[in-house]
Amino acid sequence: MTTRLMQGSEAVAEAALAAGCRFFSGYPMTPFTELLENMGRKLPGAGGVCMNAASEIEAVNMTIGAAATGARVATGSCGQGLALMQEGIAELALNELPAVIFNMARGQQDYFQATRGGGWGDYRTITLAPRDVPEAVEHTQLLFYLADRYRTPVVLYGDYVIAHSTVGIDVQPIEFPATAPKDWALDGSMSGTGRARQIWTWALGKPNTPGPGPNGSWELIAEKYDQIGRAEARHEAYRTDDADVVLVSFGTTSVFVDSVVDELREDGVRVGSFRPITLWPFPGDALEQATRGCAHVLVYELNAGQLVDDVRMHAADRSVIRSIGGVSQDPSGMRQGDLLNADILRHRVRDALGLTPQGATS
Amino acid sequence: MTQREVLFTGVGGQGVQIASKALAMAALAEGRDVLLLPSYGGFMRGGKTNAGLTLGDGPLRALPVITSAWSAFVMDQAFWETVRPNLAAGAVVVVNSSLFSLEVEVPRAQVFAVPASDMATALGSPMSAAFLMLGAFAAVTGVVGVESVVGAMRQLVPAYREQHVAANARAIEAGAASVPTLAAPAWPDVAVRS
Amino acid sequence: MSSQLVVEFKPKLLQSSEHELCPGCGHSVAFRVVLDVVEELDLKPVLLAGHGCYTQLMVQSDLDSLQCLHGRAPAAATGVKRMLPTTPVITLQGDGDMVTEGLHEILHAAARGEQFTALLFNNGVFGDTGGHLTATTVVGQRTKTSLEGRDPALHGYPLNIGQLLAQVEGAAYVARGAVNSAGMIARTQRMVRRALELQLEGAGFTFVEILTMCPTGWFVPTSEGPEYLEDAMITTFGIGELKAPPG
Repeated sequence: MTTRLMQGSEAVAEAALAAGCRFFSGYPMTPFTELLENMGRKLPGAGGVCMNAASEIEAVNMTIGAAATGARVATGSCGQGLALMQEGIAELALNELPAVIFNMARGQQDYFQATRGGGWGDYRTITLAPRDVPEAVEHTQLLFYLADRYRTPVVLYGDYVIAHSTVGIDVQPIEFPATAPKDWALDGSMSGTGRARQIWTWALGKPNTPGPGPNGSWELIAEKYDQIGRAEARHEAYRTDDADVVLVSFGTTSVFVDSVVDELREDGVRVGSFRPITLWPFPGDALEQATRGCAHVLVYELNAGQLVDDVRMHAADRSVIRSIGGVSQDPSGMRQGDLLNADILRHRVRDALGLTPQGATS
Repeated sequence: MTQREVLFTGVGGQGVQIASKALAMAALAEGRDVLLLPSYGGFMRGGKTNAGLTLGDGPLRALPVITSAWSAFVMDQAFWETVRPNLAAGAVVVVNSSLFSLEVEVPRAQVFAVPASDMATALGSPMSAAFLMLGAFAAVTGVVGVESVVGAMRQLVPAYREQHVAANARAIEAGAASVPTLAAPAWPDVAVRS
Repeated sequence: MSSQLVVEFKPKLLQSSEHELCPGCGHSVAFRVVLDVVEELDLKPVLLAGHGCYTQLMVQSDLDSLQCLHGRAPAAATGVKRMLPTTPVITLQGDGDMVTEGLHEILHAAARGEQFTALLFNNGVFGDTGGHLTATTVVGQRTKTSLEGRDPALHGYPLNIGQLLAQVEGAAYVARGAVNSAGMIARTQRMVRRALELQLEGAGFTFVEILTMCPTGWFVPTSEGPEYLEDAMITTFGIGELKAPPG
């Protein structure tokens, strides 16, 4: 065991290296910058390349090129930078190129971006939302595996808190099943053989090796995402078996939610919590099951209401859903604000349930 | 309400798009309702270029995708198979026989062969072949008057091709003269038009 | 020496020589120049192509290929070459792709001295979308978005990308050729050869711009394409090596 004191960004970088990442590109932007700095320090020693790109558009396109060679690759930013990368992420998906995309977000307002995507076409990204640094380390490695297994871009929804929290942690490489050899990768070796390879979203192939074309290819890719949807949903349900009330949240917020669940249980409230670990594929069936028979489904997210859309789609009874979170940014705009607070959360939950308030200011 | 469909097909660069637009414009000028939807790929030249045009003597109840067309305007045989299955039995098929030599496998089709490319070349204006065909199409079907085709052509030819207007007009007249007038009339009310 | 009909000839590095380019298009000539050099130097490159009429040449080629987002081939090439430092990497873009959409990417790749060879097929129009104004359309050129001709008061002036790149320290070789005459073709072939040789030596970023004909986009008769290229584009941009290592 080699437990070291590490900032979350450093731990995630170590996890990426442990997973075999050999290319990273990025453009500095708070709170993603430290991940870029750490990758810049660590990758060359591991035989990899870290590029400080001249824009987020350049970063994601460099990543496309590197991914096309068959390497394990990653890029990232915060939501504002990922906004520029949306076309590139769609391109990765429709080219079936594996890549890990890190959103070290400024808060929780990127849920739609992380689950619906702002690119074009029928594509999804497997998106994991860790709740703390140890989980981010585990998810990072899982994402490199899932990207290769399914030949798709995948997203880690991190945030300021995870990026900047410093904890004692031991980054251990995780073993995953072997993935298929990358017989589609480009390295020039097939040039001149009559069977040169080609990577193109239109998938028409070359004259000697015709492809399925856009219709055929995009249909197959859509089926692949359906398959992923059925196989890769992950969630955590805490004390929901006998709960009347379920609190739903994601990412860092869920740590606060779970602490409040325990306190309220001591006060006799039959409350539990549910969080999607995969924001996509959303664990709808599990949510339905966890919320069956509940009188209250309270959604606590630090935004104007994004996760709640998915909750409305899947919860057992839509009429008992309420949003009790809200927009919440620090005055700098770069991190979560006041609502990331257990007292406020507890107060809002008690308020929603019609219980007497206990402390808190809003 | 009578509705007539025209499916256009050709190879990029032969004038299929401008011909279909000209027919739509001519029909509009004569008080018909029109719906035109082109279908072409990303290439400037050489690719498939099709269009579907629906004309009516009243408000159209037409889908933009035509699966049982009354007629076809065929500049080239290259993409004929994209049009043939969407023609109704008895369809009026006007072909540019300079570039089309296939059997028209449409039951009871009324086929009119016009060697438009050769005729246009002989007139000294090879680029007017599509308008020559359009003149023939208008004369054979009476779907619009030939002079309406000329009028539409004048409006559609862009300023940088001004020098071709006279030649196009000649081609339209030559095309009209090369086919039997109203051999396959489009409209029930049109007996003889000039 | 066996004789062969011209119509039966196909370069070895093309899987098919049936293209759908307009009559008079210079792109196929320029691409043939590139393929001849690749074959001559016995290279096994990765080709990255942008979006334009030339994309189909990538498709027809027997080269490992990556089709890139508009303007972004130099960024993708950076990723490829950094992962495969000993593999020859070639990017192929038109003027719309490289100089209009992708000006940021090409300048930064050159500045970083990325070790790939960037090719520009410059015909001064966005041909594939119907003939529109690009950053290299010359003054007076009629396009569908400059119907009266490019007017500096309305549309500004064309960018001389070769000149810009020649000033970038990371660029090792910057040249401009053309394919409107046999002499020009031969000269251009020497430029492409030099650029690829320098890539193999690890000299830095290499760039060859090739002026090509687009009579369709230029609204000139097919047979007048080569002369128009001379009068409009060569007079505006010039021909030659703008930057080269000594020797």
